[in-house]
Amino acid sequence: MELEQPAAPEVSRETIIGQKKRTSTTQKMPKRPEGMHREVFALLYNDNKDAPPLFPSDTSNGYKQTKIKLGMRRPRKWEWMPFTNPARTDAAVFYHWRRPSDEPKEYPFAKFNKKLEIPTYTESEYNQHLKSDGWTKEETDHLMDLVKRFDMRFIIMADRYDTEKFNKRSVEDLKERYYKVCGILAKLGGEKKIYTYDADHERRRKEQLKKLYERTTEQIEEEQYLLGELKKIEARKKERERKTQDLQKLISQADNQNETPRKTDKKIPKKKIANPSRPSKIDTSYILQAAETAGIKFPDYKNSGVSLRSQRMKLPANVGQKKSKGIEQMLQDMSLELNPTPTEDICQNFNELRSDMVLLMELKAALGTCDYELQSLRHQYEAVNPGKTLTIPPQLLSNNDQDGSKHLGPEIIDVVGSPGTPSIT
Amino acid sequence: MSLPTDFGPDSGGRMKGVYIVKPIVYGNIARYFGKKREEDGHTHQWTVYVKPYHNEDMSAYVKKVHFKLHESYANQNRIVVKPPYEISETGWGEFEIVIKIHFHDPNERPVTMYHILKLFHTGGTMEVGLDQGKGLVSESYDEIVFQDPTQLMHHLLTNTKQLTLGPWEHNTDFEDKKEKTAKAITDAKQKVRVEIVMLKNRLKLARETIAQFKEEIAKTQDNQYII
Repeated sequence: MELEQPAAPEVSRETIIGQKKRTSTTQKMPKRPEGMHREVFALLYNDNKDAPPLFPSDTSNGYKQTKIKLGMRRPRKWEWMPFTNPARTDAAVFYHWRRPSDEPKEYPFAKFNKKLEIPTYTESEYNQHLKSDGWTKEETDHLMDLVKRFDMRFIIMADRYDTEKFNKRSVEDLKERYYKVCGILAKLGGEKKIYTYDADHERRRKEQLKKLYERTTEQIEEEQYLLGELKKIEARKKERERKTQDLQKLISQADNQNETPRKTDKKIPKKKIANPSRPSKIDTSYILQAAETAGIKFPDYKNSGVSLRSQRMKLPANVGQKKSKGIEQMLQDMSLELNPTPTEDICQNFNELRSDMVLLMELKAALGTCDYELQSLRHQYEAVNPGKTLTIPPQLLSNNDQDGSKHLGPEIIDVVGSPGTPSIT
Repeated sequence: MSLPTDFGPDSGGRMKGVYIVKPIVYGNIARYFGKKREEDGHTHQWTVYVKPYHNEDMSAYVKKVHFKLHESYANQNRIVVKPPYEISETGWGEFEIVIKIHFHDPNERPVTMYHILKLFHTGGTMEVGLDQGKGLVSESYDEIVFQDPTQLMHHLLTNTKQLTLGPWEHNTDFEDKKEKTAKAITDAKQKVRVEIVMLKNRLKLARETIAQFKEEIAKTQDNQYII
């Protein structure tokens, strides 16, 4: 339609009317009967106004079932007939309806009369094998009789037990005895697989079930409550464990930082620059602590085997380049060899010396940080109290060694630790 | 209690707590030809060696000594199985020689040393000493430490013979050097310790002063609030 339109652009009133006329003349629009739903009508006569198919497209009868065609054939006969049930022993005759055309067969339900094979025993067999403490032969016979009578329905057997002659027995007792007898007889018959009945287990199981069943509502509620509590406790325990692990991680991290306190030193001044008005109390003490624990941990040479003494003087891998450079510098300043003749004594002293040197460097760095903080505090004070100032003790001024001893070690260590005067006001 | 060792299956036979030290000297001597040799441009003759510090026959416990020369030498891996453990060559350049000492007991791992072959005098390096007629000497002292040696090794280490009946001397007076070094290090240690104590005191003072300053600032701030 859309394609046709541009092809015939001059759509006049005439053409439209003419078309309309034509359609109306060729096809008579059926009218929707009164009361018919629009949807149903649309199924019959859709928008295309197609005529219904000329030939039936569906050969079946559609949704309609054909009616049963009665009276086409003669019905077969039913007859009231006698029959016997082979399951019965008394040969009683009953009657039922049956088609005489069917072959007279055995009563079909007789096959459901199953007989269990109950083992039997003779007197001598019993005396030889089946004697038991709690059971007399008479009682066993009675039991076997009951088994036969009630097809091993032990619940009924226990109910029908001859309590006048014998003591009352539980279902488990009966089962235990019966299966034992069966087992022994089967063994005598040469069978390999023998069913064993665990009466104790069964008793316990039933007792448990009984207990479970006999719980009162309060008990059930209490149990629910306790279970809930247990869950809560376990959750808390997990939470605690998680927290201790986190703590452990933090501690070990802190330890690592203690070993390389240069890093923390670096961080702290930066933080203060960012937030100079509030220097925290912790950082300096932390630095001091870190500095005091600094040093080199040389590995112990306790492993068996051959080694060179000079190996013991190797700096461990965790000593950074900056530190080892610093050590080198200090050694050169003191005109010491970098690799002295390795005797045991010298090795030990040399390692201690270098460890001390690292400590010294750390202390210097820490002092630099403290110095910076002092300066910053003074500036702060001066800002608050114009005209007044705080005096830094002279022995703390870094370029003013009070005893005039030669400054050991390289200054490069303090690059970050002691920035000059802070630029804040 | 057994230590994790990687010395093979026989390492169980170690003598715990036994500790044997064998000092050695390794290095090189070098002699200048006087001029550059025409055919190959070599200028020096040198000998790299490993010697026992004391007068003893190391071959009792040393199986072989492996010298790894610069790759430009033909047959750069040289192995010496009996004393003197040395390699003589000619050349024109200095390089690092890897010296590896193997022991008779395969359960003891070989030890490796690195020696920079010295041909030229350079100021400030103390290992280099000049001996009349010998040219240049560059040697180091080290100690091989046998911790918990195997029984075989212990036997070999404790039953060594003298190497020569004559006097056994080294180019460098290591005893003197040891003494001096030990003293220098102890002195340095002392010095550093003193400085550490001083620094610690200063640090303490610094912290106290910081606390004091903080207090002052807090006080003035409080006053400000009052005003």
